[in-house]
Amino acid sequence: MLPPFLERAILAVILISINASLAGTFTIFRDASFLVAGAAHAALAGAALAIVVEEAGFHVPVLLGGLIFAVATAITAGYASGKGKLSGTEDTNTAIAVSFALSMSLAVLFISMIREYAARVWGLLIGDLFLLSYSDLKLMFASTLFVVLVSVIFHRAFLFISFDAEAAMAYGVNVRLYDYIMLSTVAVSVVVIMGGVGAILVFAMFVAPSATAAKIAGTVGSVFLLSFVISLICGLLGIYLSFNFPFSPGAIAALIASTTYFASIFVK
Amino acid sequence: MTGKKKMVEAKNLTCAYNGHTAIENVNIDVFRGEFIAIMGPNGSGKTTLLRAIAGMIKPVRGEVRVYGSVSYMPQKEHVNASIPIRVWDVVSMSILARNKKFILSFSLSKEEKKAVEEALNAVNMLELKDFPFTSLSGGQQQRVMLARALATKPDVLLLDEPFNGVDLPTQEKIISLLSKLSEKGITVITVVHNVSPLIHSISRIALLNKNLIAYGKPEDVLTPENTLKAYGVSIPVSVCEEGYLHPLFGDIHG
Ligand SMILES: Nc1ncnc2c1ncn2[C@@H]1O[C@H](COP(=O)(O)OP(=O)(O)OP(=O)(O)O)[C@@H](O)[C@H]1O
Ligand SMILES: [Mg+2]
Repeated sequence: MLPPFLERAILAVILISINASLAGTFTIFRDASFLVAGAAHAALAGAALAIVVEEAGFHVPVLLGGLIFAVATAITAGYASGKGKLSGTEDTNTAIAVSFALSMSLAVLFISMIREYAARVWGLLIGDLFLLSYSDLKLMFASTLFVVLVSVIFHRAFLFISFDAEAAMAYGVNVRLYDYIMLSTVAVSVVVIMGGVGAILVFAMFVAPSATAAKIAGTVGSVFLLSFVISLICGLLGIYLSFNFPFSPGAIAALIASTTYFASIFVK
Repeated sequence: MTGKKKMVEAKNLTCAYNGHTAIENVNIDVFRGEFIAIMGPNGSGKTTLLRAIAGMIKPVRGEVRVYGSVSYMPQKEHVNASIPIRVWDVVSMSILARNKKFILSFSLSKEEKKAVEEALNAVNMLELKDFPFTSLSGGQQQRVMLARALATKPDVLLLDEPFNGVDLPTQEKIISLLSKLSEKGITVITVVHNVSPLIHSISRIALLNKNLIAYGKPEDVLTPENTLKAYGVSIPVSVCEEGYLHPLFGDIHG
């Protein structure tokens, strides 16, 4: 039998891979990786705020704080990107960049207010697959279930608006609504992955496997499958190596995932 | 041309993006079964006019009405061609969207499958139906996008530069297909830069440069004064054996 902490780490890697595959692929297809980075920054601020609130005596799950902030940012950024509005998108990148600035300022502000749990802040930043509790896993599991359900129900709509938002509008598809649903779902995934590998690495684990898969795979289905396989292998390798050497498992996983991406560019 | 039923009607149509006017005071009627071309330089508002007809943007002044169902083929540059969706699924999109079968249940009915097949056949792309969109050439991608617009069997077909990158034989085949459709009563409105290949098939040209410079029969529209107003240069025109005017684009020598 595996020790429980190892079991939890492996389970977390599986959940992370499902999210990286589904939400990561939608992100790549929609060209929204910059937006994901924004959601990740916001998630850090939200999680830090949850710790501050907890110190004040009210219990809020840390990842829930991250969830609220990430979804709010994704929707704001989606609004700024103006998909389905057809009226100028030139300021989107600036708007998102400024929202990074806002999130990071808030994150640092909240972190500076945290007195006793400096270790937890460190955990938020770099994560630790080996320190996940059952309640962390429960929240990750519930969020993943949500992401899977939304993807099954809406994937055609997500693909259509990413492929060709203009025609989608012409055929009466509510592009804005689906865009918000897609971006919020992506934000939920960002937080699940942050729970496992921390705020610094979430972007790498999120985008690298699907970006690699999209370079190699020839069909939409195989992009989903391949990005799942890539992030699963990276995650398990991370666990294996950090079990035997003093490395952070998340860092190893993200390192392999992003290296694979560059390798796929050169191979192509 | 069959009948005189108005299918599209724009009155003093003015559209803007963030307060920046793209088309102004455009007045256009298009009848049932008409095949017309929209021409004009880059940025003259051709795409904007199609978007307004398709109901994608609201006029800031004036109005536009369409009396029937619409299909829209966007300009190539506005499609994200990096997603490896199967050709079959690309063409199905319009039908699924029209029939509101987008959520959860997205299997096509027998007739819907037949419509996809016919549309792909019409543009000579049926053999490639299982190929990912990303693996096609630019011209083949255009043909798939056209098939998607055809698949819903619309009353009004709006096409934005459908011949962009399409080889000449296919272009001819598509033009004769569009002519046949218009004879059957479908209204075809297409943006083109080079009107020569379809000059025999269209009934009218709308020449646009933010304002509608001229709208009417090709020989009335393509006058030196009008092309000068629209393009800043007067475009040389030649007359073919059958007496049609052919503008000689890209054929200006120093
Ligand atoms: N989504 C948009 N947001 C802001 N401005 C836009 C948008 N689309 C078009 N415009 C502006 O509206 C004007 C008309 O553009 P439009 O795309 O309709 O021209 P066009 O005739 O189709 O040009 P082209 O031949 O290059 O396709 C241009 O000045 C363009 O910059
Ligand atoms: Mg255009």
